[in-house]
Amino acid sequence: MMNNNNIFIELKNIRKIFPGVVALENVDFDVRYGEVHALVGENGAGKSTLIKILGGAYQLDGGEIIIEGKPVTIGSTSMAQHLKIAVIYQEFNLVPDLSVAENIFIGREPKIGKSFINWRKINNDAAEILKKLEIDINPRKFISDLSVAEKQMVEIAKSLSMDARLIVMDEPTATLTEKEVVKLFSIIKELKAKGVSIIYISHRLDEAFELADRITVLRDGRKIETKKISETNQNEIVSLMVGKIVKDYFVGKKEEINEKEIVMEVKNYNIADSIYDLNFKLYKGEILGFAGVLGSGIHHLLRSIYGVSQKTSGEVYFEGKKVEINSPSEAINLGIGFVTEDRKGEGLLNDMSVIQNLSIIIIKTLTFFKGMFIRQKDEFAVFDNMAKELNIKYANINQRIIYLSGGNQQKVIIGRTLVSECKVLILLEPTRGIDVGAKAEIHKIMIELANKGISIIMASSELPELVNLTDRCIVLYKGKFAAEFNRENMNEEELVAAEIGKLSYAVN
Amino acid sequence: MVKFLKLYEKIGIFILIVLASIFLAIVSPNFRNLDTILGIIMQGSYGAIIAFGMTYAITSGGLDLSVEAVMGLTSVIIAMLIPTMGFVGAILIAITASCFVGLINGLLITKMDVNPFITTLAMQAILRGASLLITGGRQIVISQKEFMSIGATELFHIPTPIVYMVVLFIIFYIILNMTTFGRHVAATGSNEQAAKMSGLNVSLIKIIVYILVAFSASIVGVIRTSQTLIGIPTMAPGFTLNVLTIAILGGTSLAGGKGNLIGTLFAGIFISMIYYGLNLLYVQIFYQMLAVGITLLFALFIDGLRNRYLNVARIKGIRV
Ligand SMILES: Nc1ncnc2c1ncn2[C@@H]1O[C@H](COP(=O)(O)OP(=O)(O)OP(=O)(O)O)[C@@H](O)[C@H]1O
Ligand SMILES: [Mg+2]
Repeated sequence: MMNNNNIFIELKNIRKIFPGVVALENVDFDVRYGEVHALVGENGAGKSTLIKILGGAYQLDGGEIIIEGKPVTIGSTSMAQHLKIAVIYQEFNLVPDLSVAENIFIGREPKIGKSFINWRKINNDAAEILKKLEIDINPRKFISDLSVAEKQMVEIAKSLSMDARLIVMDEPTATLTEKEVVKLFSIIKELKAKGVSIIYISHRLDEAFELADRITVLRDGRKIETKKISETNQNEIVSLMVGKIVKDYFVGKKEEINEKEIVMEVKNYNIADSIYDLNFKLYKGEILGFAGVLGSGIHHLLRSIYGVSQKTSGEVYFEGKKVEINSPSEAINLGIGFVTEDRKGEGLLNDMSVIQNLSIIIIKTLTFFKGMFIRQKDEFAVFDNMAKELNIKYANINQRIIYLSGGNQQKVIIGRTLVSECKVLILLEPTRGIDVGAKAEIHKIMIELANKGISIIMASSELPELVNLTDRCIVLYKGKFAAEFNRENMNEEELVAAEIGKLSYAVN
Repeated sequence: MVKFLKLYEKIGIFILIVLASIFLAIVSPNFRNLDTILGIIMQGSYGAIIAFGMTYAITSGGLDLSVEAVMGLTSVIIAMLIPTMGFVGAILIAITASCFVGLINGLLITKMDVNPFITTLAMQAILRGASLLITGGRQIVISQKEFMSIGATELFHIPTPIVYMVVLFIIFYIILNMTTFGRHVAATGSNEQAAKMSGLNVSLIKIIVYILVAFSASIVGVIRTSQTLIGIPTMAPGFTLNVLTIAILGGTSLAGGKGNLIGTLFAGIFISMIYYGLNLLYVQIFYQMLAVGITLLFALFIDGLRNRYLNVARIKGIRV
């Protein structure tokens, strides 16, 4: 039976309960053929939970799912696949020890006979899909060797290879840089033209407004409203999300730095296959941005400075002294803090509680008897403070961190470094997956810290964030210096041009 | 299912103990007197003490399969040294040597990056071989009867092994749950890379953990040797499996990051009850091994279910 207004899938009265939390209550939601339906809401609103139900990862506690007029149950991920529903999860779902091609076709590997994988075909097919997405990744590479952005593109490739009729994307652009975002958008528009339905979750409202036909706002597990994009605007959506009228989330600029006192200097830095002869200075109280598309080497650079990976040559001077940083603990001892971009891989302590995750770096200091015994009162005070400041949503402090929503996990990971009181703060994609309110909060904290004299290095793929927040911004292209902007000449157009190697521009 | 597993996680081992107690009380009138119960607890203390150490290893994301060989080594060293040094010196040297073995385990696992399973299995063979070589394959009788005061006496009517177990339990419990080191062990097992990024010296933490396991095994080696007054190079064959069973049955997840020492303590006693029960029923020794194997599989099964159901990350990780 075909529905008159062309509804492909309809969710009615959806209810999902976790111990201590009602994640979804009474949610109605539908998607039409060839429609992009944006799903937005604050961190912990229930977006991911809703689409995990569609993907078969969670089971309903109430309500029903109707596809083309027929009620269905989605009891497992393979049932979702069978129904031609592809879900790109916020946390990746790739098997690290398998190749890119194997991951794309996992469970559907082309075979020779009954049991042998047709390697030639699987690699060729994967290469073709990747090429269509203009992604330069060898399909034989292992997932564990990919950057987070590359993993995201593989996830997208995987869902495209399925011939899905509904593709659900949970914050797909959070990990991508400008160039890939553009590519992704053109793919989404193509899919839409072919009649594929898309659910698009993002904290970047401008993306929703560019892509979507309709937009649904969730708040605290309830559906607030569904609107036609043409009949609403970003301010209204933000008000619906937070439940009150908000004026503006722009946090203002930080003070300019007057005396230029060098805190850290990096000289002639080289990393095998990723960074070539790089020099830069970091001043006291400065927010220094780094921008670049996939393959720019920025993440390698910053990870290596923090001591996670090795450089091939080059020098780092910290407060005037030459230093060799061979491990994160050495960096931390110097007073360098770091927030990873890879929350799942190297951020979350999965089995541990929210509070333990927050305090892990500074736990040594929250002690009595020569640093041996943990003083729980102090630990709680530190946590409570940060949780309020960042507005972290959790059921209780002993809740395991993996039960928080993605954005709240991110807040804990940032909070972990913020409480460690460092002199230099390196942030990779700090506001990834964080809702507007909390993002403004984090920007505000960054500015406060910088005003207090702490120097911040921020790598971000969100240009507005860089333009609004940083004092200077260095652009790298393929591992080399491409351009440097300061407050006066910084603008998004030229940043983009520099990111893709079309502009070199330097000020001192 | 999830509810059941959560409940099991909290009180499962107690329920098992209650069930076993009821069963034993029915089939054996002896079970109702205190001495029998103390006897059972004492028999359980050996496995439990080593399992305290094992709980650390598993929590840190590893495993130690060399514990029974460490017991043998301890036993042999004591028997060799006691005539010249007296028992205090012999015990100290045996324990120090065992800790050194733990250090080597830890170094191999962290610096050479060898899998803990393989490393400690190899260590097991090496130690067994070395112990047999030292003694020429014989058992050595100890004539210093004073040595019995260590493990074969009572303190306020409580057999000393139980006292050691309680003391060690308290120490291990406090370290794991209340100190920074314990926190670091759990962080390491939870996500090693994240622990490193947070500035923890993961190698050092693991090395200390393997020393702790060897230490706990050595303690039991001392107790057992003092009870029998024989230095036995092949002491307690197969005991490593008991220790693993105890730790996992007690609720310490093989996936790492979560250690439950209270569970370990009671699981040690539970396993001892099983042995006692089987003895009562005059079951052959082979069946006892069978029982331990089955218990281990059961514990692993529950652990697997728990990881599957309670760990959202894993739910999402299921292959599609
Ligand atoms: N497995 C779980 N166990 C317990 N609580 C959970 C679980 N998964 C999610 N929750 C809770 O359900 C609520 C909704 O979470 P969800 O992940 O759907 O939020 P979200 O809208 O995707 O947020 P974000 O923007 O931060 O990703 C949160 O309060 C979260 O803590
Ligand atoms: Mg989410």
